[in-house]
Amino acid sequence: MLKYVPDDTSVVFSEIPDQICLAINISGCPHKCLGCHSPYLRDDIGEELTIPVLEKLIKKNQGITCVLFMGGDSDKEYLTALSSYITGFGLLVGWYSGEDYLDLDIYRNHFDYIKVGSYKKEMGPLNCKTTNQRLYRIIDRENIKDITCRFWK
Amino acid sequence: MVQIRKKTGLVQEFNANKIITSIIKSAERVHIDIPPTKTNKVIDLVLEKIRDCEVVDVKELHSLIITALEEVDLSVAQSYCEYSTLSSNQNLSLSEESTEEQFVKNKIAFINKYKQSSNTANSTIDDNSNVSNKNVAILNAEIHKPENIRISRSMVMGKLKELYPDFNSKRYIRDLEDHVIYKHDESSIAGICPYCVSITMYPFLLDGIKGLGGLSASPKNLKSFCGIFCNMVFAISSQFAGALAASETMLYFTYYCKKEWGPDFYLHSDKVVETNYDGKQRTILDEIHQYWQQIIYTINQPAAARGFQSAFVNFSYFDKPFFDGMFGDFCFPDGTQPDWESLKWIQMEFMKWFNAERLKTVLTFPVETVTLLYKDGKFLDEEMAQFVYDEYSRGHSFFTYISDTVDSLSSCCRLKNKLQTKEFNFTSGNIGIQTGSKSVITFNLNRLVQLWYRKEMEKREDSFKFDSSCYPSLKKYLVKLMDRVYKYHHAYNELLWDMYDADLLPAYKAGFIHLNKQYLTLGINGLNQAAEFLGMECNVNDDYAKFCQEIFSLFKEQNELHKDTTSKHHLIFNTEQVPAESLGAKNYNWDKEDGYWVDTDSNLYASYIFKPNNPSLSVLDKIKMHGRDYIGEYLDGGSACHINLDSHLSSEQYKLLLNYAAENGCNYLTFNVPMTECKECGNIVNAPVDKCPKCGCDKMQYYTRIIGYLTAVKNWNSNRQKEFETRMFGDKGTYKTYKAK
Repeated sequence: MLKYVPDDTSVVFSEIPDQICLAINISGCPHKCLGCHSPYLRDDIGEELTIPVLEKLIKKNQGITCVLFMGGDSDKEYLTALSSYITGFGLLVGWYSGEDYLDLDIYRNHFDYIKVGSYKKEMGPLNCKTTNQRLYRIIDRENIKDITCRFWK
Repeated sequence: MVQIRKKTGLVQEFNANKIITSIIKSAERVHIDIPPTKTNKVIDLVLEKIRDCEVVDVKELHSLIITALEEVDLSVAQSYCEYSTLSSNQNLSLSEESTEEQFVKNKIAFINKYKQSSNTANSTIDDNSNVSNKNVAILNAEIHKPENIRISRSMVMGKLKELYPDFNSKRYIRDLEDHVIYKHDESSIAGICPYCVSITMYPFLLDGIKGLGGLSASPKNLKSFCGIFCNMVFAISSQFAGALAASETMLYFTYYCKKEWGPDFYLHSDKVVETNYDGKQRTILDEIHQYWQQIIYTINQPAAARGFQSAFVNFSYFDKPFFDGMFGDFCFPDGTQPDWESLKWIQMEFMKWFNAERLKTVLTFPVETVTLLYKDGKFLDEEMAQFVYDEYSRGHSFFTYISDTVDSLSSCCRLKNKLQTKEFNFTSGNIGIQTGSKSVITFNLNRLVQLWYRKEMEKREDSFKFDSSCYPSLKKYLVKLMDRVYKYHHAYNELLWDMYDADLLPAYKAGFIHLNKQYLTLGINGLNQAAEFLGMECNVNDDYAKFCQEIFSLFKEQNELHKDTTSKHHLIFNTEQVPAESLGAKNYNWDKEDGYWVDTDSNLYASYIFKPNNPSLSVLDKIKMHGRDYIGEYLDGGSACHINLDSHLSSEQYKLLLNYAAENGCNYLTFNVPMTECKECGNIVNAPVDKCPKCGCDKMQYYTRIIGYLTAVKNWNSNRQKEFETRMFGDKGTYKTYKAK
């Protein structure tokens, strides 16, 4: 089970290149990155992110091309279940994970975009060339592309 | 209490309320809302001077009021002086000699105020920001505006009496002074003047600008075309209060390029055609860029004949289906026909050049619109559509007009107009392109809805909740005023024809435009606040969608009913959400002062279906709200959707958004990302930044569209600057706001 913060749900353009994303902020983050820009997401706040809730969000935001989970590392299995549901709408699914080591072999079947890496202040976020974080575009099972450089304009 | 000795010798007690009423009336005449703090200050200042007197002469009192008003608001002081002369109120009238003296004194005071003001927009009657510097030419135009308004009103009243002897023509003044309607640009020309226009330039090919009273005959080559084109822009602009669309500019420019370098010039634009004295070689493209520089910098030059405002110039770019529809059977005077490939090349090159040039100087004009045809779920001209996506992603801000037929044209940042005929005519060229708005009268919807509500409350003897059963009654109420507005428009139309018959409108006589091609426009302002007053929220919801549709469809239906295309002088009407650059704040303040409900999270009535400061709307919501569920086909005069962003998107994202707009019937939109200019080194950045990437200084100023056109925020009037600081750039949850200074 995962909870999300309704007030933080928004349509965004800069998180996934070339897509119009509905970003859903998931609370209960298990990571404790120093300098995290939304530390409140570590708390157990917000509302339960159920399939009906998700369906409502998607319908309310018609025009999006991708649903992006910001977090969700505390229940990856549930996240993959939600992801399969979203695919049924013909939408792409992205996941901003805070894990440094994520087995892409498992998750490549469920997501079209995956960001991995905790936030390390000294290395900077995705738009810093020194970042430790990586954004992958999963074209198909065999074809995973590191597109982090798209943030370095 | 101090006693006042009237002209007749009669002595009366000092009456502050009487004075306040006169001041408010004077302020209204010059479209200024004077708050009680200011009127009270005047009374205090006057009382301070006469406190110790027992009896004061009315003449003396009058000068004291004017002197006090000069400290508070010079325009009102000026108007007060003039108004009180006309007023039958003997208490405040002056002898002829001192009226004249006061009149001159006030004009001088106005000049002094203008000298001290921070920018032109803050010190003028029509506080538009299409001017950047203060100077004597602007002052010369501004100083006569109060008289211009009075002359215009008086002429309309005279014509109303003639056309409708049984109608009380004074009602026109009352409706204006009650602020239920507003007549745009009453002050710009003494008397009567058409508003905005989309011309055909065909007469220009045949006869140059001779028909406009100029000296130049038809242009013979590209060089003379560019020169005479600029003269034409100024000559025509000076005879209109608003914008000038020259939608064929690119088409004609291409025609002259072909004359210069052959029909396939664009296929070898790198060919050297000129060599300078120092041996530097110049290609066709270099030459073209130089001509564009000449045209664009010239038209951005403030025009002395327009109160030193630049000519408000619009260019259009077409996709192939639109080109075929508009110009398929078009012939130039030499019998040749335009071809799509060369025009396409010129359009694209111009747009790329203009976008790059804006990094050297933030050029305001032309306001550009690309027209794209969308049918059966796709943009028909994929190449042009792709260019549009790419150009937006390169940071170019322009309007896109999406249509499913070629029978309407959006030639301006504000107006979309149905074209009445597209057939080519050998005497007047492609007459299809001619359209525009002869006159605009805008309804203050917020006030009107509240007046209706009050009336309804009286009937029902209690307050009540608005629901859909109320629409017939609300509409009936609005129709009463609309009936009068059609009369006012009719009168104005006849006055325009009188001007035409007296040979005072040469742009018409010379065939650039025809009075029967232009619309009389009913504007709407205060839509958001009207809905909020009735208990609705201005976001994506069925009640608000219905409200918008009910209101807009009423205008459309009434416009049809009042149309007359059988008489010699046609009457055709359309409706738009007016940009209300300065009117938005005027209406807001008038309503607030007069005790009507206004929202506290705005300081003016914006021109969109959504409120630009609403933090809970996504970009997708905003596009949807300018689509068919809200606007439908009803707002035939247009309503541009401004999507304010904090950074540029990718071409792919613009593609998604434009297709989303097309699918949802949002047919008129633009994307605005503020530009920044470094005050120290002049470096221009096509993004909002707080530090100059070149010199590192933090003295930066923003540029964005105040309404339709791009200018420096520092030149905006203070109401618009305040509004700018609340504009949400970006998306819900991640939006940004910026400071005006």
